[in-house]
Amino acid sequence: MLDSLHRFCNKKISAAPLISFRLIFGALMIFSTIRFMWLGWIEDHYTTPMFHFKYFGFEWVEACSTTCLYAIHVGMIFAALGVMFAHGMLYRLSALALFLGFTYTELIDLTYYLNHYYFVSLICLLLVFMPANVSPFFEVDQQQIRRATLFIIQAQIAILYVYAGLAKINHDWLIEALPLKIWLPAHDKLPLIGPLFSWDITPYLFSWAGMLYDSFIVFFLLYKPTRVWAYVTVIIFHSLTGILFQIGVFPVVMMGAATIFFSDEWHTRLIKKLNFGVQKPWLESPKLQFPRVFNYFLVLYLAFQLLFPWRYLLYPGNLFWTEEGYRFSWRVMLMEKAGTATFYVKDTATGREGIVVNNEFLNAHQEKQMAMQPDMILQFAHFLGRHYEAKGLLKPEVRAEVYVTLNARPSRLLIDPHRNLLNEKDSFKPKDWIIHYED
Amino acid sequence: MKRIVLLAIFISLGIWACTDTENGGSDTSFDRGAMLRNYADNLILPAYEDALNATQMLNVSLQVFAADQSLQNLKQAQNAWTQAYGTWMYANAYNFGPAGEQGFNKSLNEEIATFPVSTIKVENALISGQFDMNDFNRDARGFLTLEYLLFAGIEYSDAEVLQLFVNQPNRKALLTACGENIESRINGVLQAWQTGYKEIFTSRQGSDVGSSTSQLYNEFVKSFETNKNIKVELPLGRRPGQTQVAPQLVEAYYSGKSLEFLKMHLRAIEDIYHGRSKSGADGIGFREHLDAVVGGPELVASTLAQWASVIEALQGVPTSPALSTQIIENPSALESLREELQRHTRFFKSDMSSVLGIAITFSSGDGD
Repeated sequence: MLDSLHRFCNKKISAAPLISFRLIFGALMIFSTIRFMWLGWIEDHYTTPMFHFKYFGFEWVEACSTTCLYAIHVGMIFAALGVMFAHGMLYRLSALALFLGFTYTELIDLTYYLNHYYFVSLICLLLVFMPANVSPFFEVDQQQIRRATLFIIQAQIAILYVYAGLAKINHDWLIEALPLKIWLPAHDKLPLIGPLFSWDITPYLFSWAGMLYDSFIVFFLLYKPTRVWAYVTVIIFHSLTGILFQIGVFPVVMMGAATIFFSDEWHTRLIKKLNFGVQKPWLESPKLQFPRVFNYFLVLYLAFQLLFPWRYLLYPGNLFWTEEGYRFSWRVMLMEKAGTATFYVKDTATGREGIVVNNEFLNAHQEKQMAMQPDMILQFAHFLGRHYEAKGLLKPEVRAEVYVTLNARPSRLLIDPHRNLLNEKDSFKPKDWIIHYED
Repeated sequence: MKRIVLLAIFISLGIWACTDTENGGSDTSFDRGAMLRNYADNLILPAYEDALNATQMLNVSLQVFAADQSLQNLKQAQNAWTQAYGTWMYANAYNFGPAGEQGFNKSLNEEIATFPVSTIKVENALISGQFDMNDFNRDARGFLTLEYLLFAGIEYSDAEVLQLFVNQPNRKALLTACGENIESRINGVLQAWQTGYKEIFTSRQGSDVGSSTSQLYNEFVKSFETNKNIKVELPLGRRPGQTQVAPQLVEAYYSGKSLEFLKMHLRAIEDIYHGRSKSGADGIGFREHLDAVVGGPELVASTLAQWASVIEALQGVPTSPALSTQIIENPSALESLREELQRHTRFFKSDMSSVLGIAITFSSGDGD
């Protein structure tokens, strides 16, 4: 069995898909980094807010100065160029720099967590381990790679799609067509397709199409006879979601990434069309010996990716309500959720309890995300405790009254409004101060 | 391959045709254009027109008073101020477009209705005779600085106020400068609405961030929250870190008319929710929008029920003594109002934006 694993992993295949993936992914990273800076999001997201929500286990990550963050973003553009074109050690360093730079900026504030940012981080990490001797400049027909290197990226993309599809198999999405019933009518003013969104049946069609698309698209992309039509579907699907929802560069990233399922010949043609892949190597490709341990790493990585999204099964209650085990699981655009969180800070010496105005500390995006996610509510409560203790309150107690609406249902309390949150700590354990959603 | 294409085309045409006939009758679309036109024509423009007219009348009174500081002229000016600031309660929620932040300008409401007034800055200006109507000292100009100059305080008699104008020769100049500045700022915004912005406003009919529905909604919620957070909680001393009540932080502290203005402001909020003009003509508003979406009718029912409690609590606040005095002597009625406003917040804030599908921030969401 181990032998067949190694045989599968070590089979030599054409490097063309990997070369064009590097070109496409690098170009997308340059585009998305420039866009991020252009929109002023470095200031808005990272340096203007006075408080940042931390990722569990990454509480030590701090935002550096605006200048430093701009430098990192410019550095990421060069790193992305390296991912596209560099060779040997320089390629590997570029991929590593891109991974570290991108992941660092993502870790600054949990508010801005997006599944596709997580996806980009993972791909950057995988690129660090790709063969460094593959180059768009060398004659493409003569370059070969081990199958494992391409397979791991394909598998990652497949997991993203299939898990996103599986997550859509739930009562609200398929039977109630929620949240699309809420979201789609808001777009009835779009040119041409607008009127479609005021029909009663449209949310149902879109819900089912979305579920089927995510669950099966990878298989149709893999199967040669259906590939062209599958890719046409990819373009239509992601363009549509791109027009309908405020999801940034994600549609473009997926349209680019999905080309990895195309044939070697297609990639070879693409590379040559871009005037690459024609020169004779001017230096000898280093013969890289792959230690077998790399194949075990691959198995471990995939096992983690396959299992981690299911951790929610270990928590009691409705996943959409508690969000325990919600992130890093390819649950995208699944629910319409919003909350109003009111924090009360009590000076235990005087018994006087004050009411916090959240936007004194948080920007609109932070407040919106915090008000429906228990772990962020807890972080903010601890911040308020520290803040007001420094201002002279004695042994403060912080409690929060949080009303949340899920998929347009009447709002109700998310957490115990009497619990002193300063006594609670975040962990992987179930949070017993969440009031479960009995339905 | 050709056969597959044809098949695909036929299937999609079939779906299209079926859905078209089946759902022609149960079209759930809501005409946001009509809603926006109602807001522009029957709420926003009339509110700015009223505010401008009342401010012009105020400035006439201020000129008359500046020329002759008689007791009668002072009374006249005080009344004109009360009228004008009252009209502002109906216009103070529309801080977007021409009334939004632009360059060095803050929102129109911040520019002309910031409180509490910095008495130190105003007194310094009265001594030095130096004041700038375009600098950052928004707490030393605007409606509430006028109030400070005209009323001086609830414990001051009108005769004492007149004496202040005698003792402080710059008081007249600051008074008229503030009045003119308010008028010109309101006029600027009204002009912008009349010369093109109305068309822009009514044409942005989506519900994305830049859309008019989103802007109007966000400012509506902010304005509602101002009542709870700033006009009620702060004077009650209910912010963490406040160790006692802060009666001087009420709106319109010097005239003692805080409750009147609070009632007008909340009435204006209610009007915006219903899409109702000041004279009571009910048009298409957020309420009608809610009635047309999933979960909306239920939300309207709970919103109206809670709003009735807000109004009941509001009517339970005694009309005298002044709020600032009540806060010291017996804040319980105002405290009940605060609680009801608190209970109401979620209905206007997260519940409403959620069912209406209104985008609040520019940042990207999770992709699909």
